[in-house]
Amino acid sequence: MESAADPSLLPSIIFTTAAQLVDCVDKKLLVLLRDGRKLIGILRSFDQYANLVLQDTIERIIVEQMYSDIERGVYIVRGENVVLVGEIDPEKEDRVQLKEVSLDEIYAAQQNEIDNHKRQELTKNSKLIDIGFFIDSQQEDMY
Amino acid sequence: MLPLTLLNTSQGHPMLVELKSGETLNGHLVNCDAWMNLTLKEVVQTNSDGTRFFRLPECYVRGNNIKYLRVPDEVLEIAREKNQQQREEHRKVSQPQRGGYNRQYSGSGQRGGGYQRNRGSANIGRGGGQFQRGGRSAQQY
Repeated sequence: MESAADPSLLPSIIFTTAAQLVDCVDKKLLVLLRDGRKLIGILRSFDQYANLVLQDTIERIIVEQMYSDIERGVYIVRGENVVLVGEIDPEKEDRVQLKEVSLDEIYAAQQNEIDNHKRQELTKNSKLIDIGFFIDSQQEDMY
Repeated sequence: MLPLTLLNTSQGHPMLVELKSGETLNGHLVNCDAWMNLTLKEVVQTNSDGTRFFRLPECYVRGNNIKYLRVPDEVLEIAREKNQQQREEHRKVSQPQRGGYNRQYSGSGQRGGGYQRNRGSANIGRGGGQFQRGGRSAQQY
């Protein structure tokens, strides 16, 4: 392709749909789900709904500057739940500025974060109600 | 192979299905369709907190409620093998046609030769025609 030779040129066909995932097949990706989960795995296939097949997947839980990985294996992710897909640069991968901690630690930190978030939401909602807003829905997206 | 093809090959295998609500279902896949609707058997349902478990002999999941599915690693291998098998079968089916076509196309001279050899005495006229044709082709060369 010409674009490979000259990065200033745009590729002749720009896919703006799930088709642009072709470049990501067999590469290591980070997939962010709507519930906030981060999956890191090798993309093996996808379809028009951006349903994904991930192999050798790990789930990475990140809380502030800490992280922990859980081995998960093969995933079929339903496309609707995907927020973003990003390719991981294997060279830069090791230079993560996060500290790896044990699962127990990360779960505790995560629970703490969730509790804090809930508390914030409650205060925010009660303040909103005070000034005359009506709260009829809960925040569903956690990412 | 496509995600739904992989799902199809997972039939009969154990899998974990997480719903958008966070509930999980652990069971053996019985059947599935193009909408990702599933039927599972021998299911353990877990609530979204992971605190309560329910045993269900079988269950039906409407595809739109699914967040993701986790399948055993072997299923990918099986799917790959099946895919390759299908390709080979496809090749086997499509090759004889091509072969037949080629034989007709390029082998006409040979068959003509066969005609001559077998029936040359019976079809003198045709034999002559072929002779002429042979001559023409000789001129061409």
